[in-house]
Amino acid sequence: MSSLGEALRDSAVVNLSGAVTMVIDDSAFALELASQALVGFGIRTRHACRGAAEAMEILQEQNIDLLVVDCEMPGINGFELVRWLRRSGLEPNAFVPVIMTAAHIRRTRVAEARDCGANFLITKPFSATTLLERIVWVARDGRPFLEIGDYFGPDRRFRKAPPPGPERRADLIRKSEYEAGKVSAAEEGEVV
Amino acid sequence: MTVITHPRRQTNLAKMIDSAGGVSIGVALAKARTNIEAMRGQAMAVVEAQISALEAVPAPTSLLSTSSRLDQTYLAATELIDAAGPFELFDLCRAAAGLCDLIGAINPEEAFDWRIVTVHARSLRLLQTLPVEAAEERARILQSLREVIERKLAQTD
Repeated sequence: MSSLGEALRDSAVVNLSGAVTMVIDDSAFALELASQALVGFGIRTRHACRGAAEAMEILQEQNIDLLVVDCEMPGINGFELVRWLRRSGLEPNAFVPVIMTAAHIRRTRVAEARDCGANFLITKPFSATTLLERIVWVARDGRPFLEIGDYFGPDRRFRKAPPPGPERRADLIRKSEYEAGKVSAAEEGEVV
Repeated sequence: MTVITHPRRQTNLAKMIDSAGGVSIGVALAKARTNIEAMRGQAMAVVEAQISALEAVPAPTSLLSTSSRLDQTYLAATELIDAAGPFELFDLCRAAAGLCDLIGAINPEEAFDWRIVTVHARSLRLLQTLPVEAAEERARILQSLREVIERKLAQTD
């Protein structure tokens, strides 16, 4: 698996334009935000769903290449949707890369988040860099799928590569490092 | 416990990501940020609406209504984070996340001191209206909220 840093070199090229993508979020704003970020990456959101029930219908009929789903939704929540999908027997959708997003995870839902079978969970604040990092990462995620008791999903142990780096605001950290570098270079009379 | 391993299969996403064509990471991120920036006005409207929603949640009058009022509060706070986060309004995010931490940790069957929600709603309004340069005031507000949350969380452990 490529390391995360390598995958996100500015000059590295990714081709995601053909990805049949589904975004599920009960918030119209969050749905639009994720879709707009994906458009920037060259991905047209094929299915934008406001709820899990609508998504389930589509997942039973059409193959999806990437699923981006919000955790907290009324009715069937994101965890329940992913758990259902993994156990659905739908080929190849049961094995589709799944990125979950959450503004916040309730303490009582932490185990659910770990055990639902998603490839990755992004906690907000939302950033384009974090989303693209995770998409590239799940595309190259080489973990086998395991069935253990009630669990069905990617191996939860990261054996061949360390888990990806800082999850939150990675772009801001990079920006502040870059700004700090500019300041120190300016102090030394260099041109950045 | 029995473990069934399904060998790694290459997904469509894995096949296409390194195929010919595509876009550089730098260009992809720049385009995405431009697209997101175009939503700033919409985001600020959502922030305003969610702070108003938090201010408007009535205090529960019985234990029965506490759970639904807390859900309402939690939803407004998370939607606020959704809208404020991409535009670097991190003070608002921190204040809203603290409230979510508390609501996510408590037992909704027990009595809840609703003044915490009221204080958060007022603080969020203040954070939204304070000028960006008022860093000290912002820090003081966030510190006070953090102390409230820590005290209450300690009682739930």
